[in-house]
Amino acid sequence: MADTPLISIRELTKHFRTFQRREGVWGAIQNLFVRDYKTVVAVDRITFEIERGEMVGYIGPNGAGKSTTIKMVTGILVPTSGEARVNGFVPYVQRKEYVKTIGVVFGQRTQLWWDIAVIESFKLLRRIYDVPQRDFDERMELFHQVLGIRDYLHTPVRKLSLGERMRCDLAAALLHNPPLLFLDEPTIGLDVVAKDHIRQFLREVNQRYQTTILLTTHDLDDIEELCRRIMIIDHGRLLYDGPLGLLKQKLLRTKQVKFVLKDSEQVPRVSGLARDGLRLEKVDELTYRIVFDRGQVSTPDLIRGVLGTVEVRDLLIEDEPIEEIVKRIYAGEALREVSLSQ
Amino acid sequence: MKMKLSNIWIVYHKELIDILRDRRTIIAMVVFPIVIFPVMTVGFGNLAESSVKKARQQTSKIMLLGDEHARELAARLRLTEGIEVVPPAADYAQQISDKKLRAAVEFPAGFELALKSEAKEPPPVQIFYYTGELRSEAAARRIEDATREYRDGIVQQRLAARKLSPAILKPVEPKRQNVAAAEKVGGLKLASFIPYFIIILCISGAMHPAMDLTAGEKERGTLETILVSAVSRRELVSGKFLLVLTTSLVTAALSLASYFGTIRFAGTYTRELTRGYDFTIGAKAMAALFVLVLPMAILFSAALVAISTFAKSYKEAQSYLGPLMFVVILPAIVSMLPGVELNAKLALVPILNIALVIREVLTGNYPWGSMAFVFASTCVYAAIALAAAVHMFSREDVLFRA
Repeated sequence: MADTPLISIRELTKHFRTFQRREGVWGAIQNLFVRDYKTVVAVDRITFEIERGEMVGYIGPNGAGKSTTIKMVTGILVPTSGEARVNGFVPYVQRKEYVKTIGVVFGQRTQLWWDIAVIESFKLLRRIYDVPQRDFDERMELFHQVLGIRDYLHTPVRKLSLGERMRCDLAAALLHNPPLLFLDEPTIGLDVVAKDHIRQFLREVNQRYQTTILLTTHDLDDIEELCRRIMIIDHGRLLYDGPLGLLKQKLLRTKQVKFVLKDSEQVPRVSGLARDGLRLEKVDELTYRIVFDRGQVSTPDLIRGVLGTVEVRDLLIEDEPIEEIVKRIYAGEALREVSLSQ
Repeated sequence: MKMKLSNIWIVYHKELIDILRDRRTIIAMVVFPIVIFPVMTVGFGNLAESSVKKARQQTSKIMLLGDEHARELAARLRLTEGIEVVPPAADYAQQISDKKLRAAVEFPAGFELALKSEAKEPPPVQIFYYTGELRSEAAARRIEDATREYRDGIVQQRLAARKLSPAILKPVEPKRQNVAAAEKVGGLKLASFIPYFIIILCISGAMHPAMDLTAGEKERGTLETILVSAVSRRELVSGKFLLVLTTSLVTAALSLASYFGTIRFAGTYTRELTRGYDFTIGAKAMAALFVLVLPMAILFSAALVAISTFAKSYKEAQSYLGPLMFVVILPAIVSMLPGVELNAKLALVPILNIALVIREVLTGNYPWGSMAFVFASTCVYAAIALAAAVHMFSREDVLFRA
């Protein structure tokens, strides 16, 4: 058992049949009588394995198939073909026994009872998962220590802020101490402080309990702070599965530095920053952006260069947006070869 | 897959707490059924009674046309209490339509002559009135009564002239005598529309929770979070179904209680309705009612859950359930029609069969055979609906319909 991976996915595929609507009034009338269905391949033969204690980031643009994968792996959806074996269960077959060993958080929706105090939801979940009272109390204490949720246990969920609600949702998902945690966009819509809180908690859980975590996200920072391994999916296909470092090294070719000048006197000096391997762009009167190739220009050197040349009020270093990377991987066959031959 | 009762109970309990916080359910399940009967019976009854009284008290303005042909009768009409004669006008028909005039009487030419000569076919006295208009009907009735009195007087005179006894006109006289039990007599009138109300309330009370628990859940996007919990889909749908059933039964029970309470304690209108008999419902009838309503409530609840599970949103569910309501009301209305009696064929028609059997029970009849048959057939329909609801809930393409 120790040698077999905790999650083992083979050729997992999900097709949805959707109804093709025709346009216009005449089309709408036709729709009533003749229906054309189109098969959409949401997830296309993906294969991966995840070991116990790993924390894996699962990224991809909207509609890439992330949520569908999560839904299949959590047993909500039955795959069209392929197989999944998680923690010794086939999720969609032994769903009820299986879900006792996992925790799931959907970032955009809550499993907590909307109009009722949070503690009621916890009590309900305690009964559903048969958690002994002593374990329950113990875990509540821990959740309070790490998440600080005790203050609003008696507040109805609808009155909580998104960050508070997310903490409660995480606590709810971990109430039965599952070895596996699935998170579907856990930091979506949260402010920086709340995001940080959630990430800290996830790290803590992962280290203390060896909880295996698979999380989907749009936020590359989530991945960078939490995961060593990343999987990229687009159009239902798994495009990259490997260490985050390698991906960054190979694929995050460009970065950008955005800076705001202290005053207009600095403007003439900006041209002095121009160099090979970078592109200087003007955003507005005092704001400039330098897009540069990480392979050719080192970030610290560039920052030093900027600070030495002009006086700035503000400076921001940004990675290439995640969608851009995914797009590039999808388009660039060469990059794909690099990533897959790691 | 084995179902755990405790899980069903957890789901039921959760949904119960949720639904009790919902004002819409409370109104449909508790307030409406309790309030509707007293309001309808007393309010509507008093309104009807007072308008009938008013119509009786008011004098009727009428017109006499060609009164020179019937001086005697015209004079009698003028003296009749409650009748006020206004001068004749050519637009009498219009005036009646406009409700300025209640009725008009036309005496044909040669009316008195025909009377005197004892003509075989005397020309008729025409009464013009507004059919269905309460006061016009009252005016016409007053004219008829006065004319009949006048006619009876003439008949008496003619008999006296021929030295005949008035008894000659009534060689046979039928007389009615009621032998039915008080419960049956009182029940009959009530019995025709109680089933209708029970049926309507049974379904209307369950409607909102059924939609909220399924389509509403989909719409809020909370379905996924429930589906990943350690509760099987069957347990989920069972818990939800049981809650819908509960609201349906509570609505029906409260409406019945309210109804009988109203009958017992309300005023004059109901006394007229029960024809002065003491209308009570025994424990036996109550038990029979409950046993008959139960499978119907199961049928309704399961059908509501199945249909609203299919819907994507609360709104969509509402538009599906509109026509369903009509499908339910129609047999309920048919059951109120006079002459529709329970037979082997009708015992198979869902809803209608229950309505007819309830009517029998309320009038004190217990046709055990048909009752068992109706109960069994409704149970079959309920089982089909329940299977449909469970099936709907296990279908991925229904739960995640995009």
